[in-house]
Amino acid sequence: MLMNRRRMLVGSSVFGSALALGAPVVLGQAKQRVVVIGGGPGGATAAKYIAKDSGGALDVVLVEPASQFVTCFHSNLYLGGFRSLQSITHGYDKLTANYGIRHARQMATQIDRDKKQVVLADGTRLSYDRLVVSPGIDLKYDSVPGWGQAHEETMPHAWKAGKQTEILKARLDAVPNGGLIVMIAPPNPYRCPPGPYERVSMMAHVLKSAGKKDAKIVIIDPKESFSKQGLFQQGWDTYYPGMVEWLGPKIHEGVKSVDPKTNTVETGFETYKNAALVNVIPAQMAGKIARDSGLANGSGFCAIDPETMRSTIDANIYVLGDACIAGDMPKSAFAANSQAKVAAMNVRAELTSARAFPARYANTCWSLIAPDDTVKVGGSYASKDGKIAAVETFVSKNGETQTMRKEQQGENMGWYAGITNDMFG
Amino acid sequence: MKMRPLIALPMIAMAASCLAARAEPAKGDRALGEYLAGECVACHQVTGQASGAVPPIVAWPEDQFIAVMKSYKNKDRDNQIMQTLAGRLNTSEIEALAAYFGSLALQPMKN
Ligand SMILES: Cc1cc2nc3c(=O)[nH]c(=O)nc-3n(C[C@H](O)[C@H](O)[C@H](O)COP(=O)(O)OP(=O)(O)OC[C@H]3O[C@@H](n4cnc5c(N)ncnc54)[C@H](O)[C@@H]3O)c2cc1C
Ligand code: HEC
Repeated sequence: MLMNRRRMLVGSSVFGSALALGAPVVLGQAKQRVVVIGGGPGGATAAKYIAKDSGGALDVVLVEPASQFVTCFHSNLYLGGFRSLQSITHGYDKLTANYGIRHARQMATQIDRDKKQVVLADGTRLSYDRLVVSPGIDLKYDSVPGWGQAHEETMPHAWKAGKQTEILKARLDAVPNGGLIVMIAPPNPYRCPPGPYERVSMMAHVLKSAGKKDAKIVIIDPKESFSKQGLFQQGWDTYYPGMVEWLGPKIHEGVKSVDPKTNTVETGFETYKNAALVNVIPAQMAGKIARDSGLANGSGFCAIDPETMRSTIDANIYVLGDACIAGDMPKSAFAANSQAKVAAMNVRAELTSARAFPARYANTCWSLIAPDDTVKVGGSYASKDGKIAAVETFVSKNGETQTMRKEQQGENMGWYAGITNDMFG
Repeated sequence: MKMRPLIALPMIAMAASCLAARAEPAKGDRALGEYLAGECVACHQVTGQASGAVPPIVAWPEDQFIAVMKSYKNKDRDNQIMQTLAGRLNTSEIEALAAYFGSLALQPMKN
């Protein structure tokens, strides 16, 4: 039993039943265990900070089926031709090698909250003292009439990075001059508020650079307004005149149906036929594991205590990132990373003698509108009136100098290198 | 106009690593600094490497670090991100950050 357990501790990523049943009580001196579900920005950061800062005192297991993570952040830069896919792909090898985190390469299929166990796809049961849940979002495949999971290759969403991003890029590059792109934008709340509009900017940049200035992008948006709207619209007028048209709900009166066979999008206002590319970004909700475990409320997302990131439903569970309800914070990788550090600190304070300090959060989201023209929005946040509330925020303004906009792209690139190191390095 | 640190950066780094080696008692609370630093290392690398427009901030003399943070807090220096983050920090928090980052060694560049 002890031998089996030891062997498991040394870097195996497949869990045998011996470990599964080896709850801490069995071995007097066994370490307390923290299980983290999801190896994205939230989960990877939490696992790293819990393992690193507890100096081996806690057993940290990261449950994530993939061996590599492709970041959604900067996937628009890949689309625009500013980055390779390889440069936005990260392995988990440093987390396992440098901090003793064990990587269980499986889906978590169930959380048995009464027994404090996570059930993995192969049936293994993994006991936990504390559980961190950061599964990101699931797409609501039934939120756009006529479109569903079966159509995600013909009408890609690319709102989860990887194969979808490559499909979108290939389709974008194939749009002919005079071709039409229709983007169906998502309703709130969704992952990365400025993301759809940065994507449109990158699409327009690719078309323009290829001399396809008669191509057009129409955005069908269910929202009355969107993040950094004035900045984006000014940028589109400046760099891509006549190429981008944004339609709010009062004008298009809703998406009536899409037909993936004929690449048609019908709205109350107009029917777009034979589009060269339709990018459907549907409505979103917390990842299935969080919803199935009763951690989400009617909104489809999970309520947390803003002082600790602990679930309001279960005191042994922390929910991070896109899956949680983070008050004034947007659903971003920066936010997930920030929340993970608050959770990690509180997990350590509960299980070890580490100190806990008042929670504080930060976020900045840069968006590339054109080469060397990057805008940003950000702020700092704290727990206030029962939610994560903005303390101070900032946003770029129209009329900023070209030098400043260019420097902000430098910040954006520097941030990417810094934060991915912080998550996966 | 932006103010740059008073001495060239590599010099600061070298001077600071000597200081750190002498293990002088820091005035800042390093544990607090380490927690607060979580906010900073989303952009600044703990290895002390510069990246894009994000400068290195490890192994500085504490006084220098404190002075620069205060100049962001007072909005004498004009980066919006740094103004917002520094604006929220009180003096003991800035000292804690100075103690923590000051204690980190500049790591040699990879590749
Ligand atoms: C186009 C686009 C651009 C963006 N740009 C930016 C940007 O510039 N800046 C920024 O800060 N953010 C950006 N974002 C947002 C950012 O990508 C997300 O907010 C971030 O990835 C959320 O992290 P997370 O940990 O909550 O979830 P995710 O990144 O979704 O990670 C969740 C992980 O959990 C795993 N998982 C899910 N369920 C299970 C299970 N049951 N068992 C085991 N593992 C599971 C998944 O495989 C996945 O790896 C962008 C997003 C998009 C789509
Ligand atoms: C969102 C990214 C980001 C975060 C988070 C951030 N910084 Fe910065 N920081 C920058 C950028 C960009 C600059 C360069 C600004 C300028 O040109 O004045 C900078 C500059 C600095 C400088 C001056 C460096 C020099 O060489 O002049 C110090 C010191 C500093 N930051 C400390 C911190 C501390 C401490 C924190 C955490 C509380 C922090 N930063 C968080 C992006 C960030």
